[in-house]
Amino acid sequence: MIPSAISLTIDGQKVSVAPGTTIFDAARLNGIRIPTLCHQQNEVPVGVCRVCVVDVGGRVLTASCVRPAEEGMNVATASAKVTRARRTLVELLMSDHPSPCARQQHSGDCELETLARTEGIESPRFARRDSSRGRDDSSVAIAVDHDACILCDRCIRGCDEIRHNDVLGRMGKGYRSGIAFDNNQPMGDSSCVSCGECMISCPTGALTNKFHVGTALSVGDPALPEFLKGLPVFSGVSGTFLELNSGSVVMRHFRPGEIICREGDYGSTAFYLLKGSAQVSINTQIGHVKTEGGARGFFSKLSSRLAHSAEDRREEEADRRTIPIDAPADLPLAKPVAELGPGELFGEMTCMSFYPRSATVQALTECTALEMLRNVLDILQRNKNFRGEIEQNYRRRALDSHLRSVPVFAQLTPTFIDLLRDKVELIRYSPGQVICRQGEMADSFYLVRIGFVKVSQSHPGGEIILAYLGRGGYFGEVGLLGGGTRTATCAALDHVEVVRIAADDFRLMMEQFPEIHRSLETVALGRQQENRDRLALVESTPLQDFLAQGLMEAQSLLILDLERCTRCDACVRACADAHDGVTRLIREGLRFDKYLVATSCRQCRDPLCMVGCPVGSIRRRNSLEVIIEDWCIGCGQCANNCPYGNINMHPFTVNVADPESPGRTRAVVKQKATSCDLCTDHAEPSCVYACPHDAAHRVDPRKFFGRLLAQSKSD
Amino acid sequence: MLFDQTHRKWLTATVIILIVATAVYIPYALSSPQGPRGGSATGLAFGIAAFALMIFAGLLGARKKVPVWRVGRAQTWMRGHLWLGLISLPLVLFHAGFHKRGTLTFVLMILTFLVVASGIFGAILQAYIPRRMTIEVPMETIYEQIDHVRSQLREEADQLATAACGTIEGVRAPAATEIAASGQTASAVEIGVEVSEESRAQLREFYVCRMRPFLNTPAERRSSPLADAPRAAGLFEELRLLLPPELHETLKDFESICEEERQLVRQAHLHRILHAWLLVHVPLSYGLLVLVAVHAVMALRF
Repeated sequence: MIPSAISLTIDGQKVSVAPGTTIFDAARLNGIRIPTLCHQQNEVPVGVCRVCVVDVGGRVLTASCVRPAEEGMNVATASAKVTRARRTLVELLMSDHPSPCARQQHSGDCELETLARTEGIESPRFARRDSSRGRDDSSVAIAVDHDACILCDRCIRGCDEIRHNDVLGRMGKGYRSGIAFDNNQPMGDSSCVSCGECMISCPTGALTNKFHVGTALSVGDPALPEFLKGLPVFSGVSGTFLELNSGSVVMRHFRPGEIICREGDYGSTAFYLLKGSAQVSINTQIGHVKTEGGARGFFSKLSSRLAHSAEDRREEEADRRTIPIDAPADLPLAKPVAELGPGELFGEMTCMSFYPRSATVQALTECTALEMLRNVLDILQRNKNFRGEIEQNYRRRALDSHLRSVPVFAQLTPTFIDLLRDKVELIRYSPGQVICRQGEMADSFYLVRIGFVKVSQSHPGGEIILAYLGRGGYFGEVGLLGGGTRTATCAALDHVEVVRIAADDFRLMMEQFPEIHRSLETVALGRQQENRDRLALVESTPLQDFLAQGLMEAQSLLILDLERCTRCDACVRACADAHDGVTRLIREGLRFDKYLVATSCRQCRDPLCMVGCPVGSIRRRNSLEVIIEDWCIGCGQCANNCPYGNINMHPFTVNVADPESPGRTRAVVKQKATSCDLCTDHAEPSCVYACPHDAAHRVDPRKFFGRLLAQSKSD
Repeated sequence: MLFDQTHRKWLTATVIILIVATAVYIPYALSSPQGPRGGSATGLAFGIAAFALMIFAGLLGARKKVPVWRVGRAQTWMRGHLWLGLISLPLVLFHAGFHKRGTLTFVLMILTFLVVASGIFGAILQAYIPRRMTIEVPMETIYEQIDHVRSQLREEADQLATAACGTIEGVRAPAATEIAASGQTASAVEIGVEVSEESRAQLREFYVCRMRPFLNTPAERRSSPLADAPRAAGLFEELRLLLPPELHETLKDFESICEEERQLVRQAHLHRILHAWLLVHVPLSYGLLVLVAVHAVMALRF
């Protein structure tokens, strides 16, 4: 028969508790406080810290948080023996503790340091460890200081038992023990959803909230945690986190016609529409910079203007019908306007990776939106409810246009897209994370939804970067079509989300749409040939300096013979004169022998200019020459990215509708990115034509440097 | 500019013109009762030809102002300027009959010689100096950027000195972010290695008394021992013997900064030589053209 109550004595006081009650709980229920560090009331006790030890008359002291009370037990919680043991334990813990830790500094309530003060411990007798266990600042929301960790296990139990996220665990042995995220990955790269439970559970400053500088947005009304917790997309997000970051998400109200964000502006926030509808559009004139002028006769003058692809189609111009933007919808190229509604998120790339805004968003009706900083968006993106809603929106609304925006998939039928709708996966990758590795079995096809993916191949001589793919780009077809193994490594350059189509669905697509199969095969063969050509080049011409600089990738280099050049800058002046005062060349750069390779677009092997274009308008042709498409919004990101200053922003005056005077237009200055175009309208580039000393030449680098190398070898 | 195979056609044409002109002049000079004169038909022809060539040579400046106009390659204009300008001198002499006949004509003759001589001098400089610059200034930058590069070198040197020696009077201590952004290697102080105050004081003294003035002051750039590469190398070698190994990395950085500064000084000097001759040649040329026009009017009208 199970007794209904157990009677025991704690510190001389007779108490009666239910069977199964631990000594700790028995004392607590009767107003007797036993200090503890690893025990938390809402977690299963584990008895690792031993601070709660009591004397029950046994051979050794017992951990009260795990020891069940027994009938007739006589417990001493503060005898000299217990106090001595507890004090020594706390002293040992303090000897490794970076006092004052972050929590003690911020809120003065580090449980270990509070306990140490209570025990009268000012400076521990024991020597400090001489090596740090390290910090982990990879998470946007939570800072990890392993030196402050007392291995109490609270965070692990909070993550597993309370939140069921199962991210945290233990690693190592003995003095090298510590907490770890997944397979000992940095917290920011793990599957941690930043719910904050571990941080709340931690008794010390080992896991603390990151206080970002400027986390308070200066616009809008702070969104109260109680309100946010009521929104379905925020359910599952820690209320403590929302309280501590209350300035990082604000409520914004927009009147009809009000601009929410402007294309080309730099920012650091994303918007989530709660109510109303907004128009997303690109207002920059669609057109590319065309330099033209009389190529015959005297007094010919070059001038630059904006030309549409309809009147001036360039070789290998993209056959696109949509413009990829940082929103749930792509814009049609013919009329770049779309509508956004409640539950839609835009500005992710701007918020996560600080790229310029890709389009202008204007309220069509009364709009209410949440504007948030990266720390909040990061947590939302890891939140199952939010992700579920975003994915649902994507599948319902954007998958169709996203697939069709890739020219080879333009012929997919609605039926097949419906088939794919629930089968595709949206997967996120952190910066640097590998999506697929060269040599692995190919099991998926990927479309890039946001961010940039670096495609590279490893060779004995090193890594060769093949391409950067932004939204609308795709990869994985070479492996799937050609035999089953990956031919390149694809890694996230920044915060990337891809749409993954499994191999079986991909094969089904190929079977049902032979035209797409043929188009993809053509692209795959083209890519493979390009890669082979590039590799052959690398292997045959061991000019390491020039390979590293990407010079062998160039189609045409401007080189200056320094033994003839009198540094008169006639070439630079001629380039500026030929392009309305905006020079595309600088007389500075690499040297080889007596030649200077002037700074003029080099078609770099590692085209950094292409990373971060918010509308994917800068890319490479198969001939490696850079092309800037008509929908360039003039944000200047490529010009900022180019390490050689080879991309310039060319201002143009265009007439746009005057919002203050309906029916009238006004002139505004818009910018378009430009780079060297070899003055294709003339027989000879202006820089070469204008050099009085026969010092400037445009050469094919492979022939030119190959000849020089052969000469130096024979010497 | 180099005089190479590509000038052969121009040289040939110039020599032919000279031979033809000489062949015309000699009989003319021998057959003239009062000797060859500028006012005679042949003399006038020589004069007109010489003036035309001078005008063509002068148009090079105008051609350079419109670099993209398709009116012939700049290289063609330059070679025309050189060779046809050169041949104008013997034509002038043939026109004048190797006599001076008045103050104006005398001045014109002198001017012609000076312009041609300065042009030849400039052509030689343009053939020689670029080669010297290519060899002696491997770290060449754009001439107009020299001051900017120099200020960057000073800033870098200040950062290195502050990081290694601590606070230096008159030198702004850079913030930690600046040091991190500049990608500099950790100093002895930063990596926690103990460097004696005496060593730091020695390095500080060298920096304040020798190196900083060399980087800052034009006069010091010429007279400082750091201005001479072998002496600078000796100085740094001495310092390496005196200072502990922990400071050798800083010394190495200082040495390359000094080398870069020397190259900037050398580049500026060579650039000035390469272009300074134009300050003589161009004004003299314009003066010559004006006076030749005056001479033509005076001679023909009066």
